[in-house]
Amino acid sequence: MIKSYKLRRTFSNILVYTVLLVLGLIWISPLVYLVLHSFRDEGLSTVSYLIPKTYSFKNYIELFTDTATLNFPRWFMNTFVVAIFSCIISTLAVLMVSYSFSRLRFKARKPLINIGMILGMFPGFMTMIAIYYLLKAMGLTQTLVALVICYSAGAGLGYQISKGFFDTIPRALDEAATIDGATRNQIFWKIILPMSKPIVVYTVLTSFIGPWTDFILAKIIMGDMRDNYTVAIGLQTMVSLEFKATYFKRFLAGSVIVAVPISILFLFMQRYYVEGVTAGGVKG
Amino acid sequence: MKRILALIIAVLMMATLFVGCNGETGDNGGAAALEPEAGATLKVWAPDAALEVFKAQCDAFIAQYPDAGIKIEVVAQGEGDAATNLLNDPEAAADVFSFACDQLNRLNDAGVIMPVNTNLAADVTARNSEASIKAATLNDLLLAYPETGDNGYYLVYDKTYVTDEDAKTLEGVFEACRKAGKKFIVDAGNGFYSCMFPFTGGLTIEGLEGEDNDVQKFNEYDEAEVVATLEAFATLFHEYDDIFFSTDPSKISAGLAEDPSTCAAGIDGSWNAATVASVLGENYGAAKLPTIKVNDEDKQIVSMHGYKLIGVNAMSKYPNAAQLLADYLSGEACQLERAEKISWGPSNTAAAESEVVTGNVAISAILEQSQYSVPQVNIASTFWDPMGNLGNNLFKEDAKYDTDTLTALLDKTIANIRDE
Amino acid sequence: MKYIDLMQLNPFQRFWFKLSTALKAFPGKVKNFFVVIGKFLANFFIGIGKAVAGYVTRFIKGDWATKLSYIIMGAGNVAKGQVVKGLLFFVIQLAYIAYIVFFGWGYLKKFPTLGDVEQGMQINPATGGYELMAGDNSMLILLYGVLTIVLTAIFLALYFASTKSAYTLQQKVAAGEKPVTFVEEIKDLFDKKFHITLLAFPTLTISAFTILPLIFMILIAFTNYNKAHLAPGKLFTWVGFDTFSEIFAMTEGASKGATFVELTKWTLIWAVFATVLNYLFGMILALMINKKGIKLKALWRTLFVITVAVPQFVTLLLMNQMLQEDGAVNVLLMGLGIIDKGILFLNSTPLVARITVIVINCWIGIPYTILITSGILMNIPADLYESATIDGAGPVRSFFSITLPYMLFVTTPYLITNFIGNVNNFNVIYLLTNGGPSTENLYQAGYTDLLVTWLFKLTMNSQDYNLAAAVGILVFIVCATLSLVTFNLTKSAKSEEEFS
Repeated sequence: MIKSYKLRRTFSNILVYTVLLVLGLIWISPLVYLVLHSFRDEGLSTVSYLIPKTYSFKNYIELFTDTATLNFPRWFMNTFVVAIFSCIISTLAVLMVSYSFSRLRFKARKPLINIGMILGMFPGFMTMIAIYYLLKAMGLTQTLVALVICYSAGAGLGYQISKGFFDTIPRALDEAATIDGATRNQIFWKIILPMSKPIVVYTVLTSFIGPWTDFILAKIIMGDMRDNYTVAIGLQTMVSLEFKATYFKRFLAGSVIVAVPISILFLFMQRYYVEGVTAGGVKG
Repeated sequence: MKRILALIIAVLMMATLFVGCNGETGDNGGAAALEPEAGATLKVWAPDAALEVFKAQCDAFIAQYPDAGIKIEVVAQGEGDAATNLLNDPEAAADVFSFACDQLNRLNDAGVIMPVNTNLAADVTARNSEASIKAATLNDLLLAYPETGDNGYYLVYDKTYVTDEDAKTLEGVFEACRKAGKKFIVDAGNGFYSCMFPFTGGLTIEGLEGEDNDVQKFNEYDEAEVVATLEAFATLFHEYDDIFFSTDPSKISAGLAEDPSTCAAGIDGSWNAATVASVLGENYGAAKLPTIKVNDEDKQIVSMHGYKLIGVNAMSKYPNAAQLLADYLSGEACQLERAEKISWGPSNTAAAESEVVTGNVAISAILEQSQYSVPQVNIASTFWDPMGNLGNNLFKEDAKYDTDTLTALLDKTIANIRDE
Repeated sequence: MKYIDLMQLNPFQRFWFKLSTALKAFPGKVKNFFVVIGKFLANFFIGIGKAVAGYVTRFIKGDWATKLSYIIMGAGNVAKGQVVKGLLFFVIQLAYIAYIVFFGWGYLKKFPTLGDVEQGMQINPATGGYELMAGDNSMLILLYGVLTIVLTAIFLALYFASTKSAYTLQQKVAAGEKPVTFVEEIKDLFDKKFHITLLAFPTLTISAFTILPLIFMILIAFTNYNKAHLAPGKLFTWVGFDTFSEIFAMTEGASKGATFVELTKWTLIWAVFATVLNYLFGMILALMINKKGIKLKALWRTLFVITVAVPQFVTLLLMNQMLQEDGAVNVLLMGLGIIDKGILFLNSTPLVARITVIVINCWIGIPYTILITSGILMNIPADLYESATIDGAGPVRSFFSITLPYMLFVTTPYLITNFIGNVNNFNVIYLLTNGGPSTENLYQAGYTDLLVTWLFKLTMNSQDYNLAAAVGILVFIVCATLSLVTFNLTKSAKSEEEFS
C-alpha cells in the first residue's frame, strides 16, 4: 500500500515536472529570443532563422553612442526621473485615499468609494485631448512635469487593493492608540504605515513601472519635443515605418535595457508584491 | 460644397475691398513687396532623413535676408504624423512643415493650413509638375508647396536572380523568384499598396463629394474589367503562394540582407531606397511596377502615387517669413540638393531633368511609375482600411476568388469607403 | 436549513449550498441594486432642496455680519474673530470672480451654441498673403466651459459652507461659546477631520485630470464633432442623441450599428475567455508549483513571473513579429516538421486570429494569476482536502469541488476587476493584430477589434470623435452595471465591516 502510494507520487511529480518544464520553456522563449537577437550582428531588421549566427555588442553601443537622431540614453534618464517622482506622489495618494476609506468614518465615504470604482471603468482615450489642453492652460505641455502629473493625478483611484490590505489590520490597534491619546495623523504614520510594508512595496512597484510602458498619452503630450520623450515612445518610434528597416535591432537592445532593471527590481520585491496583493486584492 | 463656395466668394469680395482702400501701402505690389517680418522666429518640421539637409538650407535662407534677423529651428517630425500632431495643437506646431499629400484634406478641413501666397502661387505652379500641383490644390486653391515627386513605391529586385527582362511582367518576377526559391514581398494588406489591384483594372478616385465634403468620389469604371484584374492578381498570388509574402516592406531589405538572402524582389517604398541600394550594391535593380496578364493582355500595374508637400501653419506668427521659407525650401536648388544628398525625387520640372535625378535608378523608376498612377490626393480617411481588406482577400489561403465573390467584395469595399 | 444543519454537512457540500443560495438570491439583489440607486438619487435632490431652504432661513435669522457674508464671503467669520478663516473665504471669492471675469465668462456664454463665428481667411493685398480671421474654437469652448461649470459648482459649495459657517458662529457666540481658533481647526484637520486632509489632494487631482476630462468626453457624444466639423477650422454644435441613434440604427452592410453589435459580442466572448482561462490555468500552474515534493519552487515561479517585468508593448510587438507568416513560430513549427507552410496566425480566418489572441493573452495574464493565487492557495484549510480524499476524490475532483469554489468565493473582486480590465484590454489587440483580420462587413474595424480599440481607431483614423465618445459611454455602462451588480452580490462587499 505504502509502496504504491510512493510510486504514484513519484509518477505524478514527474508529470508535474514535465508540464512545468515545457510551459516554462514556452513562457521564457520569447524573452530568450529577444535577448539573443538584441546581440545579433548580421542582417537588418529580421532574419528567417531562430538562432543568430554572429554576436556583438554593436546594437547596444550604437544605442548609446549614436544619439543624434534617437537619443536613447536621454530618454532612459527622462523615464527614470518621471518614474521616481510619479511613484512617490502616486504611492502617497494611494495610501492616503485607501487609509481614509478603510479606517476613517465620515458621511461621504460610501458615495466616494462607489464613485472611485466607477471612474476606473471609462475607456480613457477621448479624455486625452482634454488633458492636453488642461496642461496647456497651465503651460506645462511638452514637459516632464506634465507626465508626472498625468501618471500620478489619477493614482488615488487605485485604492482598492491597499484598502483591502488596511481592512485586514485589526481596528483594536487604532482604538488602543486613541485611548493613549494619539491623533489619527499619528496613528497613520506611526502605527499603520510601518505595518504596511507589503502594500507600500506593491504600490511603489506598480506605479514605478507605469511610465516605462505608456506610449500613447506620453506621445500626445510630448509632440515634437524629442528630447523629452520617454523610452516607451522612443522604442515605439524605432519600429515606425520610417525607422524600422534600420533600427529594429536597436529596438530589441533598447527593450532589453528597459526590461533588465524592472526585472531585477521585481525579483527582489516579488515577495512583498505577492503579500500585498494577496492580502489586499481578495478577502477571506 | 455650397458653404465652401460661399466662403471663397466672401474671401474674394473681401480681397477686392481691401485692394480698394489699401492702395498706397502695397507700393509696387508683386513678390517684391513680400519681405520676412523682422526678427521672425520659425519652427520647421522635417523628417529625420532630411534633417541635416533642411538645417543647411534654412541657414542659406537666413543668409538671404541678413538684416531681418530671422531665427529658424528645425525639428524632426515624420511626415506621416505631421497632420495628427499639427491638429493636436496648432499653436505649438511648426510654422513650416513637410507632410504627405493625403493629409491635405484634414489640414484644410481643420483650417490649420495657410494657402500659398497669391503673389507666389503663379511661380510655384509654373515650376512644378502638373500632377504635383494638383496634389497640392483643393477647390482651385493652391494650399501647399510641392516638395518631392516620388512618395510612392516601385519594384525592387536582386539582379542576381531577377533579370531586367523578368522584371517587366509580374509573372516573370514571380517565376524568377520561384526558380531562386526566394520570397517576393509586398504589403498587400495595406491600403496604400493594395489599391493598385483595382486601380490596375481601371478604378480611379476623383476627390471628395457629399454634403460635408467627406465622401470619396469614384469615377465611372468598368466593373467586369476591374473584377477580371482582381481575379488575375488573386490567381497569381495563390499560384505562387510559396514565394508570395504579404508583410511589411521593411522585410524586403531584411530579406535581401540575409546571408544567403531569402528575398529576391518586392514592392518597396521610396523611403527605403537608400537602405536597399546599400544592401544590394551592384545587383540593385529598380524599375517601374511590372505588367500583369489580364484576359491575355499585358496590363501595366497602376499605383497610388503621392507627393510630399511643404505647408505653412495658419496660426504662424510670421506668415510672410514662413511663406518665403516654404517657397525657398521647395525651390529648384533645394530640391536638387535633396535629390543629390538623400535621393528624394523632385517635383520641380527643371530639377527632374537634371543628371542627378536621371542617374538615380530608384528615383527614375518611381518617376516613371508616376505616369501610371492615381495621385494620392483628396482621399477620405475611410479609404485605407476597406482597401487593405480588399488586398487581404486576394491572397488569403482560404479566400474564394471567383468572379461573383470578387464583384461582391469590390462593391462592398467601395460602399464601405463611401460609408454607405 | 438551520445553522446546525449546515455545520453537519461536509465542507464540500457546504460550499455548494452557499453557492446555490447566492444564485437563488440573485434576482432579488438585482432589484435591490436599482432600488438603492433610486434612493441615492432621491436623497440627492432632497439634500439640495434642504440646502436651499437652510440658506434662506439662515439669511432671515442672521445678524448683520451673517447677512453681509452672503455678499462678502467670510465677513461673518472676521466680525466674530475668526480672521484667518474669514480672509481665506474672501480670497476664494476674489479668485473666483477674477477667473470668471478674465477667463470663464468668455467661454461660458458661448457654451449653449459652442460658438457661432467660423474661422475664415482673407487676402492681405499688401503682401498677397492670406490672413487668418480667427473664429470660435468649439472644442476649447466645450472644454473650458466645462471647467468653468465645475469650478462654479465647487465655488457654490464653498459659498454655502461660508454662510453656514457664519451662522453657526453667530449662534455659538450668542450661546456664549468661544469661537474656534484657526490653530484649533488646523489641529482638527489632523485628527477628527483627518479624512479631509488626506483626501483633499487626491480629490483635487482626480477632479482635474479624470473627472473633468470625462465630463468633456461624455458631452462630445452629444455633439457633431467629427471629420466634417474639425476644430478650429469648423464649428461643431449640440445634436442631442443623434449619435446614439446612429449606433442603434440597423442599416444594411457595414453599418455602425452592425459593427457595434458584432464587436460587443466579441468583446464579451473575449473578456470571458481571457478571464476564465487565465484564472483556471494560472491556478493550476500555481498548484503545480506549490505541490508537495516539487523542488526548485522559486525557480519555476521566477520562470513564469519574469515575463511580467518586461513592458507589455515590447513583448507584444515581438510576438507580432514572431507570429508572422515567416516569423519565428512558423520557422520553428516548420523546422520540427509539424507544418510545411507558414500559418497566418493573425491574418487569416477570424477563428484562428481570435484563438491566437486569446492564447497570447494567456501568456501575458497567467503569470499575474500565479502571483496572486499562490498565497491564497496555501491558506485553504488542509482538512478540506483530507475529508475529500476520505470520500475518495482524486486530484481533479478535489480541484473542482474544493479549490475552485473556495478560490471563487475569495477572489471575486479580483475576477471582476480582471474582467473589466479585459473588456478594456487595449494593448493586446492593438499591438498584436491591430484589429485584423480585416473585413468588409464592419465599419472601420476588423474581427479581433474590441470596442475599445474600435474607439481608438475612430478617433485616430477617421476622426469620428462623437461616435467614439458614444461608444465609450456604452462600454462604461456595460462595465459599470456588470461590476456594481456583482460587487453587491458578493459577500466581500459586506464583510468589509468585519473588523470594525
